Amino acid sequence: MVFDFKTAAILAIACWVTGSLLDLFARKIPVLKLLASILFFGGSAVIVAFIANYWIVLDRPPLRTLGETRLWYAALIPLVGLLVEYRWKIRWLKYYCMVLSGFFLGINYFNPEVFDKTLMPALQSPWFVPHVVVYLVGYVLLAASSVTALHNISLQLRSLKNDNGESIAHYLALLGFVLLTFGLIFGALWAKEAWGHYWTWDPKETWAFLSWLAYLAYLHAFRYKIDRGKLQWYLALSFIVLLVCWFGVNYLPSAQNSVHTYTKT
Amino acid sequence: MVVAPRRWFHAPWEFKESMLFTAIFVIAGFGIEYAVGGEGIPQPHLPYNAIFLGVFGVLILSVGLAFRNNSVVKWLGGIPLGLFLICAIATLSLIGGIVPQEDAIPGSLSALLRINHIFSSWPFALTILLFLVNLGIGLSWRLLPFNRQNFQFILFHAGFWIALSCGIFGSPDLQRLVVPIEVGKANNLGYTMDSELPKPLPFSIFLQNFSLEEYPPQLLLYDPHSDKLLVEHSQTIIQVRKGVKASWKGVEVLVLDYMPHALPGKNGAPQPADRITGIPFAKVRIISTNAIPREAWISTGSPILKPYAADLGGLFLIMMQGSPKSFRSAISVQDENGDQKKANLEVNHPVDFKGWKLYQMGYDEKAGRWSQLSLVEVIHDPWLPAVYLGLFMIMAGNTLFFWNGIKSSEVA
Repeated sequence: MVFDFKTAAILAIACWVTGSLLDLFARKIPVLKLLASILFFGGSAVIVAFIANYWIVLDRPPLRTLGETRLWYAALIPLVGLLVEYRWKIRWLKYYCMVLSGFFLGINYFNPEVFDKTLMPALQSPWFVPHVVVYLVGYVLLAASSVTALHNISLQLRSLKNDNGESIAHYLALLGFVLLTFGLIFGALWAKEAWGHYWTWDPKETWAFLSWLAYLAYLHAFRYKIDRGKLQWYLALSFIVLLVCWFGVNYLPSAQNSVHTYTKT
Repeated sequence: MVVAPRRWFHAPWEFKESMLFTAIFVIAGFGIEYAVGGEGIPQPHLPYNAIFLGVFGVLILSVGLAFRNNSVVKWLGGIPLGLFLICAIATLSLIGGIVPQEDAIPGSLSALLRINHIFSSWPFALTILLFLVNLGIGLSWRLLPFNRQNFQFILFHAGFWIALSCGIFGSPDLQRLVVPIEVGKANNLGYTMDSELPKPLPFSIFLQNFSLEEYPPQLLLYDPHSDKLLVEHSQTIIQVRKGVKASWKGVEVLVLDYMPHALPGKNGAPQPADRITGIPFAKVRIISTNAIPREAWISTGSPILKPYAADLGGLFLIMMQGSPKSFRSAISVQDENGDQKKANLEVNHPVDFKGWKLYQMGYDEKAGRWSQLSLVEVIHDPWLPAVYLGLFMIMAGNTLFFWNGIKSSEVA
């Protein structure tokens, strides 16, 4: 890449690691809490600044390739962890979130993508940014929901007390579902303008529909008062469908003619 | 105390019965599909599909409202059946998401069960039909008596019912045709993807002009032995302009001069030319570890001019035409009554004409920006307003759902 992604990635991860260390001691020394929070936000801010700069230099939204979307995840996921801490006073989620972000940055660090300024005509649309950003935020919330569910499962297995972990997993899934729905419909409305039809069962569409169905089923199962403990397993595993939809689709035999594989030249 | 498990078909029906009936529908669907030899479902056109859908909808609502206390109807519109139907739709979609949806060998099991076109197969259709029954009955209970608290539920579920049913029942009426037009000519014949016979359109399209804008050309190093393009040192696609530097292992290149529109001159140096005939030329300085520095002209070539490459002792420095940035057709459309419309067609900017939508689809890619052919796709979808109504209802319901979700999460 032309700019120094590596410095940005190392700086962000350093912020998160130092922030986490300070946060561990913050119970004894409250002043450290503020410093830790600044570092947590600082990590995301570094990535946001990198994205902004990258956008300007690329002369197009950096949302085309998987590597570019990973940057957005890396910036946004810790913010959800911090939001949950602020809103529901749950401290542990942010650590998972930062590990996940570090993982995404790590993928980009070790597999740098080719820097390419071009944007095919079909992607030059006012729908491009809302469609992808709504999906990004939706995936981020659902990733956080899945992580929360995993944490709930580990507490269940150790028969530990868990006050409102299940509610948090639920509300994150609910908000994520709402954004998936918007992403799906924005995609359909855009597809009508760009490709002529709102739905063509393109493999990516099919998988997006599948992930939407997975969470639709979850919300109905929750509503039917199915054992919430068991539903944590469901929530934790649903994310796998999203992962296939997000980057697995390109490797499926059905995706050879997909309109969603932009990395081919 | 041990609670005896509920026996099969003892009211109230729940998950066991839901699983059984869903499985019966899916298996019956595959059975019918096999029996009809993988032909798929019948696809009635307007007005028959609309009549069927109308009667179907009224019937569902009437049954839901008239027998709302009947235990079987309660089950039919309940969540357990809904959950299994979502699972069935998801499983069938999973097949469609993995198996390529294209023509298979006639007589193969995939073709006979229509796994290769699962979304127009009998099992998918039957499952969707039962799902619409389930969704419709569940909806009917919230519609009447109307309660403001059910508004979000109604918007989301009714929107989904309308979008899904109209999208699927309306699909036979969707017409998608490709109209190839040469510059300076008109055409009123369209081709479908699966037939070579053209279909006449109720209008003709005249192509005045086709134009294509490209990104700047790219500088690449080609290895003929492995038939590969080598990645530049900084992992960048190098766009050619004056002053740009690029480096590969043992090779460094500096662009000394760049002419976007030029033609080969007499002494090897290119001469500036106009936009239409000229092609990109670049003068580069090449510094290679195993040769003395030198300068060379390279060019992309065109359908009538051969490209110039620089030989670096086994490797070639080449310039490749930039990918298309935008392309547009200046057209005028005219129908049988003489009504006319002039427009510029561009990707993402379709044009409406008398219930049809016209799209810039493609061009002669071999000729690139010299293409004299434009491919225009014309689409007629009378069900679109109904589907959009459904989608906007879903979005409205969704917004309320988000709001209520945030509000109720405060309790958590």
